Amino acid sequence: MRNLTKSFGAYKAVDHISLTIKKGSIFGFLGPNGAGKTTTMKMLVGLAHVTKGTVRIEGKDPAEHATRERIGFMPESPYFYDHLTGHEFLAFCGDLFHTKRNTDNDYLDILKKVGIFEARNYMIKNYSKGMKQRLAFAQALVNDPDYIFLDEPLDGLDPIGRRELKKIITSLNREGATIFFNSHILFDTEELCDEIGILHRGALLYAGPIRDFTKGRSLEERFVASIEQLS
Amino acid sequence: MNTFVHNIFAISKNTFKETIRNKILYGILIFALAYMLFTLFLGTISLGEDLHVIRSLGLAGIYLFGVIITVFLGSSLIYKEIERKTLYFVLSKPVSHAHLVLGKFFGLLASVSVSTAGMAVIYLIAVAFKGGGFDALALLAILYQLLEMALLIALTIFFSTFSQPLMSTLYAVLVVYIGHSLDLLVNAVANGSTTMRYVVRGIYYTLPNLAKFDIRNLVIYDAHIALTQTLLVIAYAFVYAAALLYMAVFLFAKREL
Repeated sequence: MRNLTKSFGAYKAVDHISLTIKKGSIFGFLGPNGAGKTTTMKMLVGLAHVTKGTVRIEGKDPAEHATRERIGFMPESPYFYDHLTGHEFLAFCGDLFHTKRNTDNDYLDILKKVGIFEARNYMIKNYSKGMKQRLAFAQALVNDPDYIFLDEPLDGLDPIGRRELKKIITSLNREGATIFFNSHILFDTEELCDEIGILHRGALLYAGPIRDFTKGRSLEERFVASIEQLS
Repeated sequence: MNTFVHNIFAISKNTFKETIRNKILYGILIFALAYMLFTLFLGTISLGEDLHVIRSLGLAGIYLFGVIITVFLGSSLIYKEIERKTLYFVLSKPVSHAHLVLGKFFGLLASVSVSTAGMAVIYLIAVAFKGGGFDALALLAILYQLLEMALLIALTIFFSTFSQPLMSTLYAVLVVYIGHSLDLLVNAVANGSTTMRYVVRGIYYTLPNLAKFDIRNLVIYDAHIALTQTLLVIAYAFVYAAALLYMAVFLFAKREL
């Protein structure tokens, strides 16, 4: 992304961010509430209009359908179509991709992978928050994406769920996927990421290897100190 | 199947499942069934006019409940996607705003058609039960009605791209009311001021003339309906709905999600 800016009237939610994510890395995008993380991510996946600047994924616009074929996106606090079952929802999402055609078994495998196979035939309205979170994660995988964007993926999950999802994120990365995620759970970020970006009031404070930022302290300690210094 | 058709089909299938499983739809259909049974009762106390009463009230009932289902489900169709952010799942995939709007349109049209078909079957059984045989002409009236519903779905989708469901419902009900009274409105101001006549002419040509879709009285009195009239009505519904959907896509794409 280069000089990426998003304004709502006079208010700049994202202010001239320039950042390059290494292919095959896990990048954690951190920041306090309202820093502009979700807005940035929505621009990255082509959901929000860019006020100024550019976003390119392998040199291509994310709004192009060919680029989207290779993207998986999990929104924050997801809502679903209540009258569908988990399996139906996943099949619906898979149906919207054209380069990869899934069989029913592929969907069942994904549901097993994220741990909601047993609930596959329940209406989504009966799912718990954690199950919905897992389903949202599952739909981001239906096209076997090269680039995965996750907005607060570990939110609302119990410790076991968080551990399971972290394992999946790591294994997807090992298989070659580039992962970009927003989070405010710093412990998990520290465990997962190669590099981080820190956003505050729409501006990028830091981007680079996690070690260079923490300098031997915990990520949480350094993060809080950095933000407090500016507040 | 090309991408365009494939996406629209996938979204309409999903919309159909979502709407056909909506409990409120079944609530409305139960009312519709009760109404049909009531028309049978009214027929029995109408002193020899039972068939006429059943056909007249039956077709009116199918129309009324069809409008309720359409307006109720249509007015929140896009708005709910925006409010609940379910469209993030859809629009982050290789899907355009046009695919989503058209998919929603055809999905709801399928639900409304299935519901109408259910009511039509009950109506046909009631008419046959009262000795009226197979009321084939009623099917033409129902086809006209479905064309009106298609136009109303496009209208409610258009409204729901920029207003809340309650306001969309209100606008849609007003358009249904005015759309069936346009000729009356023009006649009423025929002797009025020039400005008034221009204003009413403007309304006449802007709002859909829904009276064109009402052939229920002609069907009840077994009047002939020309094929050219039917073709013109189909073309009118198609052009009007297409214009509304085009505007809906335009407004929807401009919206900040």
